[in-house]
Amino acid sequence: MSSDSGMTCRDLVEFLIDYLSDELPIDRRRRIEQHLKDCPPCEAYLKTYRLTIKLTRQLPRSAPPPPQLMERLRAAAQGLAPRQPPAGGCC
Amino acid sequence: MDENDRDPSEPLSTGEPLTPEKVFHEHAGRVYHLARRMLGSDADAEDVTQDVLLQVVRKLDTFRGESTLSTWLHRITVNAALAHRRKKAHREEHEVRDPFDHFLDDGFHGAPVHQWSVRPEDQVLDEETQQLIEQAIAQLPPHYRDVIVLADVEQLPNAEIAKVLGDSVQAVKSRLHRARLLLREALAPHFEEASL
Repeated sequence: MSSDSGMTCRDLVEFLIDYLSDELPIDRRRRIEQHLKDCPPCEAYLKTYRLTIKLTRQLPRSAPPPPQLMERLRAAAQGLAPRQPPAGGCC
Repeated sequence: MDENDRDPSEPLSTGEPLTPEKVFHEHAGRVYHLARRMLGSDADAEDVTQDVLLQVVRKLDTFRGESTLSTWLHRITVNAALAHRRKKAHREEHEVRDPFDHFLDDGFHGAPVHQWSVRPEDQVLDEETQQLIEQAIAQLPPHYRDVIVLADVEQLPNAEIAKVLGDSVQAVKSRLHRARLLLREALAPHFEEASL
């Protein structure tokens, strides 16, 4: 659809990241908003693009590591001796 | 990963002494999951986690606590994961699709676009949804996976990602947009409502 906005659906999708971060010139922003009013598929596209970001941001940044990794780390650490400071200070 | 990865502007922290067990217990999960998301492989993530955490254990005498260890670890994990990928010269055979392929020549959507039934109002995703997203991220080509993991999972600013990846902010932004479009496309069949 190009509608009254003079913008195609593809154009709109190209600019979504700038639209969401509010980095577009006012004229282009208005054309996007006009297109969204006229075009239900693009409105759905915008919502699902936003959902994609929101869902990804909800992934936990940490979780318990696999048990075999902890065993592997402990075994590897046993072979290491932390560096000792030089006796009597340095230099 | 080397000594230069440490940001000299960060103090080395104060607090209770660190032990290898404490380092593993507190940080292995975060290091492992960040590396796994970037590399898309459990085995590679285990190698990177061991590499990163043993570097810390070797330098335990230089750390007196953990107020800055977490930030430092994050940075060296990203660097170690990128180096690991380069070292393995893994040419992962992902088909790199253009996320704009499904538009018609006249700029219309080439297929119906449906709303999604997923409602992420809860702060914690259920396990099935989480697995779907993790799998979709793992299927992305590595250069798209890096920016999704760093920008959306880890929520780093684009300028910082550009620095870590040695790219321009504009290039990071463009890659992030395409990565999100591909991720959206991968998730859509799982979350779409029957019709719009």
